[in-house]
This record gives sequence, C-alpha cells and structure tokens, in this order.
Amino acid sequence: MKTESTVKYVARLALTLLLITAVVAVALAGVNAITQPRIETFNAQKLQSAIEEVLPGGGESVAFTDDTGLVSTVYKGENGYAVEVRPAGFGGTITMMVGVSGDGKVLGISVVSQAETAGLGAVCAATTSAGEAFRGQFAGTSGSLAVNKDGGEIDAITGATITSRAVTTGVNAALSCVANMG
Amino acid sequence: MQAIIGILIAALLSQNFILVKFYGICPFMGVSKKIDTALGMGMAVTFVMALASAVCYGLNLALVALKLEYMQTVVFILAIASIVQVVEMFLKKSVPALYKALGVFLPLITTNCAVLGVVLVNVQNSYNFLLSTVNGAAGGLGFTLAIVLFASVRERVNKADCPECFKGFPIALISAGLLALAFMGFSGLSIF
Amino acid sequence: MNFKKQFREGLLTKNPVTVQLLGMCSTLAITTSLFNGIGMGLAVTIILTCSNILISALRKVIPSQIRIAAYITIIAGFVTIVDLLLQAFIPALSESLGVFIPLIVVNCIILGRAEAFASKNGVLASAVDGLTQGIGYTVALIIVCVIRELLGSGTFGGGLLNGGEGIRIIPAQYPAMQMVMPVGGFLVLGFVIAGSQWLMKYLEKKSKKKEAAK
Repeated sequence: MKTESTVKYVARLALTLLLITAVVAVALAGVNAITQPRIETFNAQKLQSAIEEVLPGGGESVAFTDDTGLVSTVYKGENGYAVEVRPAGFGGTITMMVGVSGDGKVLGISVVSQAETAGLGAVCAATTSAGEAFRGQFAGTSGSLAVNKDGGEIDAITGATITSRAVTTGVNAALSCVANMG
Repeated sequence: MQAIIGILIAALLSQNFILVKFYGICPFMGVSKKIDTALGMGMAVTFVMALASAVCYGLNLALVALKLEYMQTVVFILAIASIVQVVEMFLKKSVPALYKALGVFLPLITTNCAVLGVVLVNVQNSYNFLLSTVNGAAGGLGFTLAIVLFASVRERVNKADCPECFKGFPIALISAGLLALAFMGFSGLSIF
Repeated sequence: MNFKKQFREGLLTKNPVTVQLLGMCSTLAITTSLFNGIGMGLAVTIILTCSNILISALRKVIPSQIRIAAYITIIAGFVTIVDLLLQAFIPALSESLGVFIPLIVVNCIILGRAEAFASKNGVLASAVDGLTQGIGYTVALIIVCVIRELLGSGTFGGGLLNGGEGIRIIPAQYPAMQMVMPVGGFLVLGFVIAGSQWLMKYLEKKSKKKEAAK
C-alpha cells in the first residue's frame, strides 16, 4: 500500500472533519429556518402580553433617560408607562415589565424571563398563588421600595431574598425613570 | 473595576461554579482524591477557562455578525476541544510531570461543563472582552478552590469507617453537600 | 443482543448516573421539579439515541485520530436541534432548564457511550443501547426529582400536575427548602447512589444463595 505523506494525511483528516462540520451546519441552518419565525413570534407575543398586563391599552416605545443602567425600553400609553427593566437576579438577568401611572404609582409588574432556582426564586414569575401574591404587593406602591430585611415593606419570597431584592431594584429603577420623564 | 471585583467574589464564593452553580461536577468527583492532583487540575482548568472565554468572545462576535447564533454550541465546543489539545501538547513538552499526573483527566477538560458553561454564561450576560476573560479565570479559581477543599476533606473521609453501601461516591457526595451548605453562607456577598 | 438484559443493565447495574457516575452536572442542577426531570431525561434520551445511530453508521468512515472531534460535532449538532425545537415548541421547558440544554453536549454519558459502544457496534445495537442508557438516566433523574421536590417544596409533579403547582403533599410551612438548593442535590444523589449500591449487593447475595441451593 502506498504510504501517504504527512501533509496529505493531515489534510485528509482536516477535510473529513470539515465535511462533517459542514453537514451539521447545513442541518442546523435548516432546523433554524423552521423554528426561528416561531420563536420570534412567541417572544413578540410574550412582550406584548407583558405590556398589556401592566399597562392596559398598551403603548408605544419612547425615548428615556436612565441613571441605573437597568432600563431597556419605555412604552408610553394613555394610562401611563410600561418600563422594561433588567435587574441582575441570582441565576442571571431577570427581564420584567413594570407598569407606572402618570403620577408615579406602580400599576403592576410582570416577569418576562428569568433564570432563578425552580421552587424558590422562580416563584417571582410563577402563576401560582405565591407568585401572584408577591407580584401583587407592588401595585399601588411608589417612591423608593425595599424588602423587609432592608427595612422596607415588601415581603420577600421565602428562601429567595436575592431574587426578591432584584425585583424590587427593578421596580425602583422603573419608578425613578418615569419620575425623570417629568 | 467594581464589576471585576464583583465577578471575582461571585465566581469564587457566593456563586461558586461547582458548589452553587453545579458546573464541573464530573472532574470534581474524579480528580479530588489527592490534594496535589486536585491543585494541578484546578490550575489547568483555570487556564483553559480564561483562554476559552477570550477566544469564544471573538468567535461569538463573528457568529453574531453573520447571524449564525444557532451555531454557537458547535463552534464553542470545537474551539474548547482545540484549546485543550494545544494545552495538552504544551504540558507534555514543558511540564511532563504534571502531564503524567493528570493522565486521562486532561483531555476530559473538554467535557468539563465548567468550561462550556462559563462561555455560554458570558454570552448570556453580554460581557465585554475584559469581563468575559475575568469571569473565565475567576470561575476557574472558584473551581480550584472547591476541588482543593473537597480533596482535603475526602482524604480524611476515605480513612474513616462508614456503612458498606455508602463507601466510595455516596459518602463523597454527602461531604460535598455539607461543603455546599457551608458555601451557602456566602450568598449574601453580592456587591455587583 | 438481548434487549431485556440491556434494559436491566441500563436501569440498575450499568445505570449512567448511579453506577457510572456520568452526567452528574445536570442531575444535580435541574432536578428540582418533575417537569424538569422528565423533560431533561427525554431530551438526553433522544439526543443519545440519535447520535449513537449516526456515529455507529459512520464508524467505519471516521478516521480514528479525529474521532473525538467528529463525535463532539455530531452530538453538538443534535443538541442544537433539540434546543431550537424546545425553544419553539416547549418554551416553558427551555426557560426552566436554561443553560443546561446546550450543556448536554458535554454530558459525559453521550460522549462516553459513543466512544465505548457506538463506535464499535452496529446501528441497531447502538440505537438500543442509547435507548436503554437514556431510560436508565431518566429513571434516576425522576427518582432524585421526586425526592427533592417532596422534601424541598412539599409538592409532587411540579410544573406538570395541578396546573403547574403540583399536588401538595406536605403543608407549605414544613418543607426544608434547602433540599431544592445545591445542598439537597448532593445529599439526595448521595443517598440514591447508596440505595442503588445496597440494592445491587442484595440482589447479588440473593442470586448467590439461589446458586448455592441448587
């Protein structure tokens, strides 16, 4: 049998690997083309329903000034504002929508996405009674909020102080952003 | 600067990569029988994690520009495999003693959840180049801390008496659990 | 190829989690609710079976020197496909499992089976191996999930039954919430492995007694 030169040998190995990678890439491109529109529609729906939940009637995106670095978008509607904030939670960034009325009171909050511990921090987004109770606390509040441990009135989720603090920080950022809008 | 210190403290203590976030468990169980092997493995993993974070940050920029985000997993893991191969060849030539001590665990760094984990976390949190590399290095240091602590505990546990069905990994896991319980005390340390 | 024997092996004597101690990262991290456990178990079983089939079909074509890189690429491909499908069709599971879905790539079980079995055996045998090891993994996950959820949140079937709340078995003020934290993961897995080791020794003793009595 003819022995291959080293260059040819390495080239053959590299080409085989490249071929496999190329086939995988093509397969993934195909699956991606099928799933991408669905994922985007779902995400858009989730965002829209979060806005509607905290600001009945929805709103349009407007410009804003923000010192906290947590606010990503502000939507203005006829009943007030819906502020999208992204505080850092325990397991990653929590994306939430905070509805604020024109006179600086919280209308409600909705968690769009989170990566907190299931059964503990994840309760902040859950549709369970505990989750609704936690989120419901914020409605009607204003000014600067804090959890009980930090001397405030917000009852933290049991065993999820950091998540609760993060949500409170997010609400505070939303409130101060709306206050800045004048 | 505050961000860097925040990441360091998080990766080392309050969100330790092994004991809180559960990355890197397989080598945690496999290499932690002796302290010096554990330390050597930890250093190797730290280096790979920092390098992988830096390289994958650049690769991700290219993927996002080309709208190929769905290729992230494939591209990252191939990059990590290549980096580990290079580190292996380097160690074989320059530090053969360590190469021999780590044995089969060195190529296994490729399948270490901590390496791919930290790269994915960097992308998820949109860290810039500096923060990505710091997160990678800090995660590796957290890994080293946990693995060395665990090795010292395990050396003693292996000499102790324990029920037949608990010998080996079960008692090691329970000791790791107690270590994780201790690290829970750090959870309030987030300053970032 | 004895399906019953392979099934028993995958479940007990060669269970990927309790005996081979592979795939521990995911076992410890996501086993906090039944929904997670079943979802992750099914995802891994599907990926494991598919990659076993493909790698076995290509085993004579892939040069030995690059086989690990080739296996990883194929596995990463299947993982991304499952990841995209989950994001599109079961987004709740995708959000719950989070970063641990792409981390299935480095789940030692899949690469381990590819190297130990699929690269040396036919397509059908590899497919069965993938299925049985995957089922063994899923069963181990479910056991840990149920225990952790019961002791940690006091519910059963979180994410699936009772509109996502799970059936409450222990009243809300009693459960030890540390069980759904990392501590609980290590402790429960340690006890489950101890239990499985005890079970295997017991079955071995029983079959030895049977042999002696013959």
